[in-house]
Amino acid sequence: MPGANSPSNSDPPDGGSLVTFGRYAGPATLILASLADGAKHGYALTKDIEQFAGVRLAPGTLYEALSRLEGQGLIEALASEDRRRPYQLTAAGAEALRVHLADQRRVADVGLRRLTRSWGPA
Amino acid sequence: MSAPADRGARRAARLLQWYPRSWRARYGAEFAELLLAEFAEQPQNWRRSFDVASHGLLARLADAGLMSRRQPPERPLATAGCALAAFGALAVAMLAQLATGWQWVSPGSSYVTGATLVMTLAAGCIGLIGLCAAVPVIWQVLLAVGRRNGRVMRPAGIAVGCGVALAFGAKHFQNSWPGTGGTGAEHGLVPGGMAAFGWASTLSVTSFWAHPGLLGRFPAAELAWMVLSPVVGIALAGAVVITVRRLTLPQPLVGYLAGLARGAWWASAAFAAGAAMWMLGRSSAAGLFRPGLVDGAELVIMMLALAVALLASLSLRGVGPPSLRRKGGVKTTSAGVKKM
Repeated sequence: MPGANSPSNSDPPDGGSLVTFGRYAGPATLILASLADGAKHGYALTKDIEQFAGVRLAPGTLYEALSRLEGQGLIEALASEDRRRPYQLTAAGAEALRVHLADQRRVADVGLRRLTRSWGPA
Repeated sequence: MSAPADRGARRAARLLQWYPRSWRARYGAEFAELLLAEFAEQPQNWRRSFDVASHGLLARLADAGLMSRRQPPERPLATAGCALAAFGALAVAMLAQLATGWQWVSPGSSYVTGATLVMTLAAGCIGLIGLCAAVPVIWQVLLAVGRRNGRVMRPAGIAVGCGVALAFGAKHFQNSWPGTGGTGAEHGLVPGGMAAFGWASTLSVTSFWAHPGLLGRFPAAELAWMVLSPVVGIALAGAVVITVRRLTLPQPLVGYLAGLARGAWWASAAFAAGAAMWMLGRSSAAGLFRPGLVDGAELVIMMLALAVALLASLSLRGVGPPSLRRKGGVKTTSAGVKKM
């Protein structure tokens, strides 16, 4: 059958990069950024992200990103006494977020510099 | 619980049904809490409902091993097996029509002759591969039964019951139809008895469903068989899938089955190519050799089954020992049933 040449049946190797999240890279970044200042459950994440990014993640999208992040070991669920389960960043998640945001900052810096050069300061 | 809260809980429970059981077991409670908070803030939001439904369906596809390599290999294996079995059932229906026609007269068209040859060889390969896959899986089921594993025994028992019912039913109705090969005439590529059995086992695949007036003339027993046999077939496929998913297969066996699934996929693709060739030669075909609308619809469904098997196979990439990792018309029977 086609496509029989991959190394293993496990999760794809990611090296801590959020790029492998495909269209969930954006929501994953927002979630990690929100968890960077402490553990939060689903609704608290939604509200926090809405506040700092102006984006409201829909429940299905939020939990797809959460399950992928958890599967990659970038976040972990904490024990909870009620039905709302909080999540917290792992060390791998903090490192992945740091690298990803640094990459984004580099791209943003280049873009802003070029904009200023060609179009003048804002 | 107050009435609005109760309504919200019921809505959340309904939305959760989009997701597979395993997902609900892990995330269901917290996801329901999130939905309740969302309902309180925004009671009606069709985008939210669409988001939950679409992600639930994606989670179901992933659960079936179609979208993710995070699932145990038994899941994509079972899905690939089920898709290929669906392909095989329709292939039997298609080939039985041609084989039955050939019992009486040769096709008289190089298109149909070539296509039937390709389809027969491909069907033989699929059958052989199916047998090679079934033997070790049945052995694993027997081991599970020996360990009194109820989670495997129940679906396996249902599968055996359905399989026996289908075999006996097809055998019974095969013998009622001298027109489908039971005459002892032995021409063509497929033995007459086998062609008749294939025809009888797929009697429900017919365009007569679009002609209720003609259906009413059929004997009640045949009508009952036409209705019940696909139901039993679906139950059989479901029971086999559940059984395989509940087995914990040894890694070498998973690799062996993944290799067989790849082989079966290519054989199925060859069968589909033969079927397409048969359809293309439509103008030169007559009688049972003339493909009809139902055959076209069968081919479309077969292609969909192939696509599902391909998706499942992508989840099986790299499974197995290195040696298995490759680089890279109208005919009326005596009972009046015809396939158009």
